[in-house]
Amino acid sequence: MNASRPETVVVIDDDRAIRLSCEKILARSGYEVVCFENGALGLEAVADRKPALVLVDLKMPGISGLDVIARVREIDPTAVVIVITGYASVESAVDAMKAGAYDFLPKPFSPDELRLVADRGLERRRLVLEARRGELERELLKRRFVTFVSHQLKSPLVAVHQYLEVLRRLGETEDVQAKREMWLDRCLERTRELTSIIEDWLTFASLEQSSLSRTRETVDVRIPIRKLVEGYEEIAAEQSVSLTTNLPANPCPVNGDPTCLTILFDNLIINAIRYNRPGGSVTVGAECRPGEVVVSVTDTGIGIPESYLSMLFDEFFRVGGRSEGPSGTGLGLPISRRIATEHGGVIDVHSVEGAGSTFTVRLPRHEVDTAPEDTGADTNREKASLS
Amino acid sequence: MTDRATILIVDDDPDFTESLGSFLEARGHRVMRASNSDQGIELARTCRPQAIVMDVMMRERTEGFFAIQEIRRTPDLADVPVFAVSAIYTAEQDFNVTPDASWLAHDEFFRKPVNLDELARRIEARIADRREEEEARLT
Repeated sequence: MNASRPETVVVIDDDRAIRLSCEKILARSGYEVVCFENGALGLEAVADRKPALVLVDLKMPGISGLDVIARVREIDPTAVVIVITGYASVESAVDAMKAGAYDFLPKPFSPDELRLVADRGLERRRLVLEARRGELERELLKRRFVTFVSHQLKSPLVAVHQYLEVLRRLGETEDVQAKREMWLDRCLERTRELTSIIEDWLTFASLEQSSLSRTRETVDVRIPIRKLVEGYEEIAAEQSVSLTTNLPANPCPVNGDPTCLTILFDNLIINAIRYNRPGGSVTVGAECRPGEVVVSVTDTGIGIPESYLSMLFDEFFRVGGRSEGPSGTGLGLPISRRIATEHGGVIDVHSVEGAGSTFTVRLPRHEVDTAPEDTGADTNREKASLS
Repeated sequence: MTDRATILIVDDDPDFTESLGSFLEARGHRVMRASNSDQGIELARTCRPQAIVMDVMMRERTEGFFAIQEIRRTPDLADVPVFAVSAIYTAEQDFNVTPDASWLAHDEFFRKPVNLDELARRIEARIADRREEEEARLT
């Protein structure tokens, strides 16, 4: 959990000796402990301090232990309640559990017993909280999916539909005749856009179920990078973006699926070109380091606002305010991250809004175990001298 | 054909403004086009359209709603009929807010793809209503 803020434990017991020993034992375990002699004061503290764990004596003057349990559950359903009592009986235990207690600690107890019960309770709370976070994340994803489908998928379809409708109604009029060719081109363009969104989505869905990468072979990352850069030269030139590589003379081998690795680098390179500006540049670099191959794509483009960085690799996320720029599917980076992960690697981004971004992929270097060639021997020597 | 009117279309999808705009022009109207809400508000203030068609989702946000509110705050534009359009899935009744509701004071909602005839008919009907009201005030 959060190391800087210890979890709070509230102890409610009319027995001073119990309060003191609980405080001493649990404080030593690193919890922040506050003790109260009756239910009213204890509940006030529960509402105020939102403790992770509440230890309650069942038999107290004033508000009964059972009522305290019920109230704690109302105040914070994630708080774990443990009952302490000297009258350990099956009935009182059952009642306490029914009221929402998680565990039971009969008096007298040893420090180890207390610690065990407390740790177990808090472990359970962590699991509950984690499950909740998971649910929230799924809910958010679902909502984002609805927005994504409505906006990204429906927009091109609406555009085509609307053109066709006008063409059908007014196709014979002079004005529309003049625009006919242009509109048909736009329809084709938008259907192409839709197709590519759906293809991305299908790629992503298949990644979701199983891994997309099937084969493993030695891939020198310089090869797909060179091919991709060659293929994008024209598009980059059209946008007045200079596209260059910074590749070492020696191979940069990784053990991977060449198709997937190509998709991964492709996504990064096309993004760097798309989210750039006239006169900007894109540099694709690779480096063979001991144990890892590092590929980086650096652009001098529009950059990414800091607040968006944490969500950048999430499904369907697109940085807002770019509607006039190129249309993306919101899936390129999530797919890239999955491919990197499947290859035992990581993908990271460093960006300054307005100045540009660098995406870095680190993949485990493939140690080729056959007899080293000249270049391989050089690398081995270099590695030996480094270690 | 009804009277000629100036109609403003605000949408970040240039294909939508192009097709709907051409359709309305073919019916004899003058059409202004804006691709974002700032441009839309600016054009609305300078050109005084008789009706506004406003996309709700622009730049990944419900920017259109804010633009509609902003337009409503401008005295000269406060009662211009606004037609909100969106491709985003929604139950339509959420959008059918009575004109006096202050936070979402657009007039009518059309789901995309819009029924062109229906939208044109509603726009023209609202423009005609306002003209009559104005004439009644003047006489």
